[in-house]
Amino acid sequence: MWSTARHVAPGDLVIVWLTRDLVQSLVVTPGKAFNSRYGEYPHSDLVGIPYGSKVPSRTGRGFVHILRPTPELWTLALPHRTQILYLADIAFITSWLYIRPGAVVLEAGTGSGSFTHSIARTVGPTGHVYSYEFHEARAGKAAEEFARHGLSDIVTLAHRNVCKSGFTEADIADSVFLDLPAPWEAIGHSKAALRKDRLTRICCFSPCIEQVLRTVSALNDAGFTDITMYETLLRPHEVIQAPRLATVGTVAEKLKRQERNREDKRQRQIAASRARRDATEKRKREDQDVVDPDPDGHELELKKMKTTAQCDDEAYAPDVTMGTDEEVLEDQPSAVTVAADDTTLAMPLPESAPEIQVLSRHSKEVRGHTSFLTFACLLPAVRS
Amino acid sequence: MAQRSTQSSSNAALRRPCNIFDLLIHAGDTVLLRVPTGDIKSCKLEADSVINLGKFGSFPADALINQPYGLTYEVANKTINVIPPPAVEELEDTDATNELINDGQFVQPLTAAEIEALKQSGVHATEIIKKQIEMHANYSLKTEYSKDKYKKRKAAKYSKSFTTVQPTLFNVCEYWFTKDQTRILGMRIDTISQMMHLGNVRPGGRYIAVDDASGLVVSALLERLGGNGRLITICDVDSPPAYPVMTQMNFPKELTVDILSSLNWATADEIHTPIVLSAELSTGSYGSEKHKTRLSKRKSVSDALFNVREELFSGEFEGLFIASVYDPLSILGRLFPYLGGSASMVVYSPHLQVVSDLQATLRTDPQYLAPNISESWLRRYQVLPGRTHPLMTTSGGGGYLLHAIKIYDDPCAEPVAVHRRSKSAKQTAESSQSQPEDSASQVPRIANRHLSQ
Repeated sequence: MWSTARHVAPGDLVIVWLTRDLVQSLVVTPGKAFNSRYGEYPHSDLVGIPYGSKVPSRTGRGFVHILRPTPELWTLALPHRTQILYLADIAFITSWLYIRPGAVVLEAGTGSGSFTHSIARTVGPTGHVYSYEFHEARAGKAAEEFARHGLSDIVTLAHRNVCKSGFTEADIADSVFLDLPAPWEAIGHSKAALRKDRLTRICCFSPCIEQVLRTVSALNDAGFTDITMYETLLRPHEVIQAPRLATVGTVAEKLKRQERNREDKRQRQIAASRARRDATEKRKREDQDVVDPDPDGHELELKKMKTTAQCDDEAYAPDVTMGTDEEVLEDQPSAVTVAADDTTLAMPLPESAPEIQVLSRHSKEVRGHTSFLTFACLLPAVRS
Repeated sequence: MAQRSTQSSSNAALRRPCNIFDLLIHAGDTVLLRVPTGDIKSCKLEADSVINLGKFGSFPADALINQPYGLTYEVANKTINVIPPPAVEELEDTDATNELINDGQFVQPLTAAEIEALKQSGVHATEIIKKQIEMHANYSLKTEYSKDKYKKRKAAKYSKSFTTVQPTLFNVCEYWFTKDQTRILGMRIDTISQMMHLGNVRPGGRYIAVDDASGLVVSALLERLGGNGRLITICDVDSPPAYPVMTQMNFPKELTVDILSSLNWATADEIHTPIVLSAELSTGSYGSEKHKTRLSKRKSVSDALFNVREELFSGEFEGLFIASVYDPLSILGRLFPYLGGSASMVVYSPHLQVVSDLQATLRTDPQYLAPNISESWLRRYQVLPGRTHPLMTTSGGGGYLLHAIKIYDDPCAEPVAVHRRSKSAKQTAESSQSQPEDSASQVPRIANRHLSQ
């Protein structure tokens, strides 16, 4: 299939891993160069390095990882000709269909060849994959690709509409995989292609429930048994490191301090206004003998209190006089830089040195549906 | 490869692969039998023995030998006959509802004793069910779906039949998952399947496994190696580990001998020299023929041990699979050096915390490329005509996987500067946020006792 040597040789297909979201493939051709925003890499630099090497760019900034191709990495890097199958589905189908070394598997259609690569790897040189594609251009591209990847001995590809013309093989397959718009039209042909001396299996891959219902009905009519259907997904998790969550006790303490500060401030203001009033009155008394309309200074005090209440938000009214204020400021929720790409999980720092914890959660947007996997068995013919 | 639009069958027959899995039932196999209630029983098939399925009857084991898997048999008169699988019928919608059916109503005049008597007299299950339906006061009020359910429930109760279940990884995993999840660390079939794919398991490959899941991972690897390749497992016991899941897999010896070898955490330690019994003569001559055999046996055992050690230490394995009750970081620390470049590491845990903590540590080490965590999700549906719906009860979870790829790091490699999102580059902006794997390259690496380079 692909090189199993330790070192990269000219002509090898290698996977170039730039980032998680940018995985490409190239055939090492000395004389050529691979250029991207992650640097410049003459192919000749790759010859002779071990697979799995991190390679720095000639420009001094940037690097790539040179990986050995696997069907899974190829799935990330391949040119999409059609909607492709992904790991969770491929893995589950392979197990249900009992695809193993030496097995003979029929597949229609070939599509982008993602599933073909995977099962060709699994059946190995003692097994065989017959792949059918009704779209001529796609069939041609897939055939070239399989040849380039050294799959010619394992995969036989035919440009053929199996719904109309059936399969080229009879009584040979251990399992059949149908990824077609109307799989029910190929159920009868599939039965003809499956071997009859052993238990064999079929899987139909359809995104819509209406397709499933028609497929199930066709499978029933054709005498398949153990008909069942699954959905499977791979749910990625993101891991971040963040300070341990603060307790509400710390919040209560902070609020209590604020409350105390506010009260202290109010008392100071009352005292100040009283002092001012006393001073004024003293002056007045000294200046002229007039009667005070508000002898206790209530009006002034009320007015003051209103203003205090209005701007009691800490952001506007830092109390300059109080020694406890520094503590209050320390208690401010401070956004902590975490590995996450957003701030929704930014935690308030607890009072002492923050203890870091590892947190994980589901990724925000994930694949929610790929297809329904309809499975069935065909029982061996009873021997007399 | 030339594109073939036609392919003759004779040509195909020539290339028909020789299959190491012959897919027939053999004497000595431990076969899985599904009984009408849906339960699966594991039975050892010894030649000339009698298999007893309790209320589902008993029959001679020989009747199953050399049969293909998947057939359903009816047990009658101490023997078995193949019967067709139950047909799935389209049911007609009627106007019936459960409006007039009340719970606890007396509807069945047939007593348990009378039914027992019918069973004893050897009347066929279908006859008993027919009789019950005839006597049932409200049967005609039931909907067609309800009638179907009733018949199936009764059939599961009275019919003496079973189906042979092929020992595929899928079926054996499902058997253990239902029987005793804890012994396979709660690993569901979708998860173990993903492990095989993430680790690029192929015939001819060389792998290391740490399997504290009763041999489920080992079974999966051996099935996918198909008798070609190498698997070294590291276990926590002195003697070769018992992998009970392998019992139901019924691997022919071609699939295990020369493929699977085991070391333990002491014998897999490079700086430790295992103490083995001496195979050297102390007196200069063999005391007896027995003595000679004993010494030569000792020699072959210790030779084998040292060969496997040597093989492990020489490294270049293609993948490492861990489903363990021990700290995965400590396992990686020991086995990472024996992996080749670009090799995959797949760590399973039933607990998200375990793989999360591991990921948090690994991502600070540039030798581990893109450590990723995923949870597997699976939903099964009933697809009877007119009655399609997800199953009402299902497993709570299938476990978590961490996957990473081994890299030969180059500490001189500098990441490119962070790219700013420009209007024209919006399409590719997702992938242009510098090289995240490297952001942590300043952080000290995990202490590996053996540095790989």
